[in-house]
Amino acid sequence: MSLPLIFLIIFPLGKMLLMPEFSDLMSALKERVVLEALGRSLFTALAATAVAMVFGTPLAYIMARKNFFGKKVIEGLIDLPIMIPHPVIGIAILSLFGRNSILGRMLDRVGVEIMGSLTGIVIVLVFVGAPFYVNTVKAGFESVPIRLEKASRTLGAGMTSTFFRVTFPIVWRNIVLGAVMCTARAISEFGAVIIVAYHPMTAPVLIYERFTAYGLKYSQCVAFWLIAISLLLFVMMRLFSRPRRIQ
Amino acid sequence: MIEVNDLTIHLPGFSLKSANLKVEDHDFFALIGPTGSGKSLLLEAIMGLLPVDRGTIRLNGRDITATPPEERGLGIVYQDYALFPHLDVKANILFGVRYHAIPEKESQERFRFLVDTMNLGHLLTRHPVTLSGGEKQRVALSRALILNPGVLLLDEPLSALDPMLQDDLKNLLKSLHQELGTTFVMVSHDFSDVLFLANRGAIIHKGEIKQAGTIQELFEQPGSPFAAQFVGMKNVFSITPCNGSAVTLNGLDIQLDHPVTGHDHLALRPEEIVCDPNGSASGANRFAGTIKKLVNRGFYYDVFIRVQEVEFMAQWTRREIVKNRLEPGTETRIAIPRNSLHTF
Repeated sequence: MSLPLIFLIIFPLGKMLLMPEFSDLMSALKERVVLEALGRSLFTALAATAVAMVFGTPLAYIMARKNFFGKKVIEGLIDLPIMIPHPVIGIAILSLFGRNSILGRMLDRVGVEIMGSLTGIVIVLVFVGAPFYVNTVKAGFESVPIRLEKASRTLGAGMTSTFFRVTFPIVWRNIVLGAVMCTARAISEFGAVIIVAYHPMTAPVLIYERFTAYGLKYSQCVAFWLIAISLLLFVMMRLFSRPRRIQ
Repeated sequence: MIEVNDLTIHLPGFSLKSANLKVEDHDFFALIGPTGSGKSLLLEAIMGLLPVDRGTIRLNGRDITATPPEERGLGIVYQDYALFPHLDVKANILFGVRYHAIPEKESQERFRFLVDTMNLGHLLTRHPVTLSGGEKQRVALSRALILNPGVLLLDEPLSALDPMLQDDLKNLLKSLHQELGTTFVMVSHDFSDVLFLANRGAIIHKGEIKQAGTIQELFEQPGSPFAAQFVGMKNVFSITPCNGSAVTLNGLDIQLDHPVTGHDHLALRPEEIVCDPNGSASGANRFAGTIKKLVNRGFYYDVFIRVQEVEFMAQWTRREIVKNRLEPGTETRIAIPRNSLHTF
């Protein structure tokens, strides 16, 4: 039943990976522009994930543990970036931080530039990636029985100790998984990034540019390396977070 | 010593109403009531895991109503044990030691004592998912007891175990209580467990404490129809006192061994009703009646006997049923000893 789906994923990707010639791939790697774009993609995606982790973890905990008025609305807002067309996200960020907006001018005065900068790219990537992180980690927190936290308190551990000795060790795999999803989403973002920052160029933008300017063959070489890096990154993270076998 | 005064908790769909309770040092105190009566709620409130709407909780004279659970110096063992799944048995037991000022040597001694007493030596490196219910229970007990809590709270410790393990655990709890001298407060819905373990207790029903006292008092002198039913007095009737120690039960004259004043209920254990086909019992109320129903309970029978307008329930052995050829419709005679009749 699922075979067509598997083919749909394997064939285009396989074709993409197998088509470029080895010499082309190697020469692509020697290009400074390509290396920079790949590095930028990786760096901004990881930076966005770090931001999502710092600010998203407490949010995920509150969403999993507390009931309050308007919780459903906040849940909806967290999911919203998943549904909005990507260029719309770019336009929204542009209208908020653009050079003509109040916020944009204020930031400009203190020397922070959003449009056409790495900062801007990271903000966009946080926007599109954070929902994946928050939702995954929230599910993790929900799977930790409150009773375990209560039991820890009754044994003398305060709230902070309880979090680090009970909640976190149970939920950390969800945190890694959430980070993987967030990075994955961020590294693949194109539509929103291209509106906020065509330059400095990330890998997807470079691939698009090479496709429109030089054609399929040139874009494929960059795409190959982007896919390879992503694959390596995710396999490593998965291995690292493999469930420990319990005797 | 724990003192609970006027404790009130409102939750959606349930409330605990103005509970008063006193647990003395070294007591094995039982909070007894059917499922959903609020006894676990009371336990969680004492532990500090539930916000309290009104009232106070004192531990050895100190008001701990607003104290966070980690500073109360109490221990709790949950019904589902709540062991930490990511830690092995040893780490589970030692979890709380670092938060208490226990000298290294003493904590090691306690650890060894508990591991020996609970027979956990061969399980120390195992994780909770691989343990049986009884093993988990013993780990949870050790984890709480190693901290030498002022009071150990036990939430239905027996209900999740099979009958064989229940007996083992009952003996273990009893000997731990005697050896350690720790005050125990146990929640239970089974009065027979309570009879074996506890020395004092309170009966709780629909969020209200109905009666408190020694287990003997609760067992012999229940103060309400509910309490009477709960401690096994299956026959509970409304009565009209006549004169002195005689009462009328729906037209039936019954003699008691004590005078009744102001009492309007009569209660009687089913096992106190004697099967007396020859009418030979003396010093008792004797009646002729008809067997309405026999219910086979394995080792004994529930026997429902109609005497005029009153239906009694008796519990007789299989042997008696066979010997007297009892079956529905049989006319027989019963005797009710005067000293087995309880009024309130």
